[in-house]
Amino acid sequence: MASLAASSISLQPRHALATSRVSGLKLVSFTNQGRNSLSFGLRPMPARVRISCAAKPETVDKVCEIVRKQLAVPSDKPVTGESKFAELGADSLDTVEIVMGLEEEFGITVEEDNAQNIATVLDAAELIDKLCSGKSA
Amino acid sequence: MAASGVSAPTRTEVLHLYRSLLRVARQFCDYNIREYTKRRTVDAIRDNKNLTDPSQLAAAFFDGKAQLEVAKRQALVYSLYAPKVKSIMDIIPS
Repeated sequence: MASLAASSISLQPRHALATSRVSGLKLVSFTNQGRNSLSFGLRPMPARVRISCAAKPETVDKVCEIVRKQLAVPSDKPVTGESKFAELGADSLDTVEIVMGLEEEFGITVEEDNAQNIATVLDAAELIDKLCSGKSA
Repeated sequence: MAASGVSAPTRTEVLHLYRSLLRVARQFCDYNIREYTKRRTVDAIRDNKNLTDPSQLAAAFFDGKAQLEVAKRQALVYSLYAPKVKSIMDIIPS
């Protein structure tokens, strides 16, 4: 994986950050030809890795918007990834409606069992990301 | 009336019915009927939310299932004769 990463950066020599690192990574990749240790290649890469949690932030934001609209949450109450639907005053019927709204917004179809297990905003966002990537892949 | 022995629906069955009704509502091509179906199922399900008597629950659930069948049939029939011109509400401003 480290050698693949090095080759992807070398394809974009215009990127200022990459050029200074390309030389470093090229050296490393040559020395790693024999071995499979990935620890060298991964260290200079942090700028590229944006997704740290399991769900993309824009998905979480969209889900929060839909939940806020559906449950008529007053604007002073924060709706974050960690908010549970039950805390925001939703019962199981509201959860069904929220899942339907999410299906329409993202153009996905959520299965029965998956829909039963959604309890927080983050759960919903992760499920959506998984289904969207499964659809496009 | 003799006890028919029909048991009350479980929570999962009711939620499944709710989801099916909302999904069927999405299949209508006519904007008005689609919105009406969505509104009506939300209202009806919420009205019957607090029933506890098993026979009432069973009756409401049976009603819901019958309506689901009607809606499925009608969605199919409407789609056969769908108008070519979409309703103004369906047109997303580009």
